[in-house]
Amino acid sequence: MQPLPASFRDNDGFVFSKEGKIFRYVHPRYEAHYQHLQRSGLLQELWDNHLLIPHTEQEAISEFGFREGRIWQPEKIPFISYPYEWSFGMWKDAALLTLNIAQRALKKGMVLKDASPFNVQFRNGQAVFIDTLSFENYAEGNPWIAYRQFCECFLAPLLLMRYGHPDAGRIFTIYPNGIPLGILKNILPPRARWNLNNYLHIYLQASLSSSSIKTAGKQARLSRGKLVVLLDGLVGYVKGMSVKQEKTTWDDYYRSTILGETYLQAKTQLVRSFTEGLSFDSVIDLGANNGHFSLLFPGKRVVALDADPNCIEALYQQIKQSKSDILPLVIDLAAPSPAIGWNNRERDSISDRLRADLVMALALIHHLAIGLNLPLSMIAEWLLPMGPYLLIEFVPKEDEKVQGLLRNREDIFDGYDLADFRKVFAERYSLLREEPIGNTGRILFLFKRN
Amino acid sequence: MRFILLYLDPGSGSYLIQVIIAAVLGVGFFFRNFWYRIKSFFTRRDPEKEKENDAAE
Repeated sequence: MQPLPASFRDNDGFVFSKEGKIFRYVHPRYEAHYQHLQRSGLLQELWDNHLLIPHTEQEAISEFGFREGRIWQPEKIPFISYPYEWSFGMWKDAALLTLNIAQRALKKGMVLKDASPFNVQFRNGQAVFIDTLSFENYAEGNPWIAYRQFCECFLAPLLLMRYGHPDAGRIFTIYPNGIPLGILKNILPPRARWNLNNYLHIYLQASLSSSSIKTAGKQARLSRGKLVVLLDGLVGYVKGMSVKQEKTTWDDYYRSTILGETYLQAKTQLVRSFTEGLSFDSVIDLGANNGHFSLLFPGKRVVALDADPNCIEALYQQIKQSKSDILPLVIDLAAPSPAIGWNNRERDSISDRLRADLVMALALIHHLAIGLNLPLSMIAEWLLPMGPYLLIEFVPKEDEKVQGLLRNREDIFDGYDLADFRKVFAERYSLLREEPIGNTGRILFLFKRN
Repeated sequence: MRFILLYLDPGSGSYLIQVIIAAVLGVGFFFRNFWYRIKSFFTRRDPEKEKENDAAE
């Protein structure tokens, strides 16, 4: 069995896929820890509270080609997202989940040996920990082995969003193993130093670790009580973080536009009627804004993408309450998440992950064609592998929004009109439905891939 | 010797910082408890309850 490309760091096991299913191999050297995880009741406690991904044990390990160890089949996460695609609240909840699990583990005599945000995924608006091999038996006196990782992988991005901009979490893309504290302290504004927690966890730690040679060889001891204080302190620190609302372009898109309420109602009605008879389980909403259209599909799995971190944050807070099966992600289609990590194969690009039965591109095409100068054929080619059904809104050049995009530039877009649009899409899709949206001049199309 | 030190896990600094932070936060907790006691002396309320109320805020 070949481990999946993202599964090489842990000696105690690896993740592999067989016949489209995901399994985790657990090496016998992890057995003592797993025994404790089970017997202490920690595993059941984490499962009961939906904090850890459940798995079932596969008895017939020889069928998988193994002679020893265990094989688990974890519950499948429908859509894998990466931390640099999360909004502030998602980062914060992932950090609090990690601390919550570390606290519960310590009470049962275990420690969390990893504090990587890649070990957290989202489903039904809830963060869930996915790495069951992260638990180790606790030895009294040991400091938290994952503390530094927690600071660089959770605190650092949170502080960049808190003091910089809600969109700054995307910086994690270039430092997926943690933003070095020495870099972080130079990026943060000077006033950040005057907060005790920032000072201790970031500034002091950065200066101490740069002079670590002096302290080398001395193994620090930390009593259990002190470790509890450290974890409690981190929880309070993270809970107290918030972002100031930076005003962004899309904040009031539907409210402030003169297209307004009637347009939204007409479009909502059309989207409902177009998708009524369709058979589909999953939806991608490209340019989801506040998620108005993502929310029209209860019972379906929806991935809602937008470049605006405020829109995605608002949507996340909404579905966190309602526990809907919507995954909101901050994605800038002009600079989508690349494939990163070792050999560029550890984390897939967003383009490789975007697959669903129904793809929605509502009020998007003019941003790609006019805003990004993309020819219609390139847009169609990009949409094609995403899914068999395509619900797309055509926005004509005369439209107020397109005129806004053209205001300060030369109109070089001769190829952007309805006839061209029809031609380009007819080469790749069959037309199922077509309907004008009120009297706006915009048209909604439903296509099926050929 | 120098060369060996260069390969030391930078985590060694992060162990020491945990001891420092736990000590600093520990002092904070100590004074907070102290404060609850003073407060409860004047308000004649149960210090444990006071603490819970504060935590819930």
